[in-house]
Amino acid sequence: MTKKILVVDDDKIFSKILRDGLADGGDGKYEILAAFDGEEGFETAEKERPDLILLDLVMPKMGGIETLKKIRGEEWGKDIPVIVETQLSDIESMGEGVALGVRGYLVKADYSLEDILRQIEEILK
Amino acid sequence: MVSSDTLTLVLVFGTLYIAMGVFAFYSVHRIRKNLEDRERDAKHRLYEIAILKEIADRTGYSLNIEKILDVITGSLNQLLEYSAVSYMLLKPSKIIFKTDLQRSVSPEFIKDVKTRMLSSLSALLGRDMGGVAVEESITGAITLDDIKEPILSSFNIPLVIGDQLVGVLTVSHTKAGLYKENEMEILYKIVNQASQAMTRLEDVIKTEQGKVAAMLESMVEGVIMTDREYRVVAANPAAKEIISYKKNTPPTVFDFIEGLKSVLDVQGKLEEAIKLDKTIVVKEVQAAGKYYQVIISPVKASTTSIKGQILGGAIIFHDISPEKEAEKMRNDFTSMMVHELRSPLGNIKKIGELLKSSKILENKQEASEYASMLYLSSSSMLDLVNDLLDVAKLEAGKLDMDRKPGRPADTLREIVAFFDTKARDATIALKLFIAPDSPETITFDAKRVSQVLKNLLSNAIHYTPKGGTVTVASFLHKSGSSITSEAQALNIPWIGDQMTTDGAQVPDSIVIVVSDTGTGIEAEHIEQLFNKFAQFATSSRQMDHDGTGLGLVIVKGIVEAHGGTIDIGSTVGKGSTFYFTLPLLTK
Repeated sequence: MTKKILVVDDDKIFSKILRDGLADGGDGKYEILAAFDGEEGFETAEKERPDLILLDLVMPKMGGIETLKKIRGEEWGKDIPVIVETQLSDIESMGEGVALGVRGYLVKADYSLEDILRQIEEILK
Repeated sequence: MVSSDTLTLVLVFGTLYIAMGVFAFYSVHRIRKNLEDRERDAKHRLYEIAILKEIADRTGYSLNIEKILDVITGSLNQLLEYSAVSYMLLKPSKIIFKTDLQRSVSPEFIKDVKTRMLSSLSALLGRDMGGVAVEESITGAITLDDIKEPILSSFNIPLVIGDQLVGVLTVSHTKAGLYKENEMEILYKIVNQASQAMTRLEDVIKTEQGKVAAMLESMVEGVIMTDREYRVVAANPAAKEIISYKKNTPPTVFDFIEGLKSVLDVQGKLEEAIKLDKTIVVKEVQAAGKYYQVIISPVKASTTSIKGQILGGAIIFHDISPEKEAEKMRNDFTSMMVHELRSPLGNIKKIGELLKSSKILENKQEASEYASMLYLSSSSMLDLVNDLLDVAKLEAGKLDMDRKPGRPADTLREIVAFFDTKARDATIALKLFIAPDSPETITFDAKRVSQVLKNLLSNAIHYTPKGGTVTVASFLHKSGSSITSEAQALNIPWIGDQMTTDGAQVPDSIVIVVSDTGTGIEAEHIEQLFNKFAQFATSSRQMDHDGTGLGLVIVKGIVEAHGGTIDIGSTVGKGSTFYFTLPLLTK
């Protein structure tokens, strides 16, 4: 059965590369969804109930932490695993992320697709 | 024979002569006595003056009443005869009682002097001083038990400085009937002179202290001064603010030790400064939400007699928050810039990786999408690098304009055409209005002015919601007229709120306007639009926008390099008007 992964990121190019990479590396195991700001991310999550969310922290309309808080506030969103995409400069937000049950981190400027795939596989096992 | 008449005459003359002689004798005697009296008086006066002067010289400009009284009592025997001269001084918790004996007296004598002085103090103060501790000391001759002579003459002089009674001076003798008006007058004079001098000195010192206090009060720097025992002598309001000191009583050193305990070792540093006689600089101390550079230094005497002697310590807090703020902005700018360059570069790298390993290239549509992603990522990097270079040139004053005669209307049409598709995609009406009087040719750098227009238009379209309108217009401005009135006369959409220039001072120019019906800009943000650091931070962090945020900084630079001005008007929720002028006559 395919698992749903939601990528929430306002950088369209980054999002596209990540989604293609996940689809490619997952060998059809994953159905990849996209949202381009926090509000859209919450709405998509509510509608699609993804098995995992990759969430950017700095976004227009609603930031990542705020989006995560909102998702965690819903019955359906309490336990969805979340991997946060971060710039090294967002380190301050990491503590907050841990408190919200973030399962992993992806450093945006220089991440390894294999690492992310392995993390996802581990979480979804 | 001598007639009786003759005898009578002789007698009369004789008597007269004798009388005259007696009269003369007494007259001379009286005159001489007067003269002698006067001479003695004068001598005494002179002597008095000499003693007074000596006392004045010896007390000098001292504020130490004890020292002054010691000098007075030490010189008094030259003017007066007495067994004992004593003084009592009121101290906060005790009375100092000193007696100088000219001749030996009994201990009872001294005890009696003490009792008399205490009751005189009680009478002067209107309260009983019997219970107050008395610190007693006797100098001069020794006391002898077997002398039984009591006090038979004495008088008191109250010691008053300013308006305050500070003590009493008493002269006493075992002989009776000694002190008359004359003696008392002398002593009054001496004591008066000394206390007047002290009052004057105190006034001078108070005035000087007042000046110093006023200076300290108004200082921006926090200043604390202590004596050698680390007691706070002065602390100005700025210093109190650093430790959020709110009480009305003066703060003690412990208030500062406690208030700064986690950031500055007040006691340790003061000790170091005072004991080692060196100035210590602590580069950065954070307190009460501000950053301070703290200087701790010994305070040395500057008067000649004790020059160089360390009197205590001073702590000066210099607020370096603005510098820190600027430094933080620079750091933020650098890290944002790195971030802005890293993101597209990271994307380009990942695209390369993906193209290498996956089958994307086999799908033609995917391949072309990736090609445009590569194009966009590298363009955004290039734009940023170009903008940074422009800003660097601008700051170095090397943003050169290549000015040639040209037709500004052509540039306007070209740019509007360039944005046509973008506006249509965003469902925004893009209008161009070139006023009939708009100058046909001007001398300008068409490329740079295009850059300005692109920037303003891309912002306008970006911040205007669907269904809105963006208007580009140009018209002629005449020196002395208001640009706003000129625009309104031509019915050009115009939002004049918050504009800073009226335009009357602007020489004859072409005015180029970009007006939108967008979200508008809040007043506090307008100021930051042309600040490279602030701009960069907000635009790349909070806004979903392609620009680097440096655009407006460069726009302003280009307009000013043409000798023009730029201004912004905006109302939140209604829209914004950006205009710039390019003068017709170039210098």
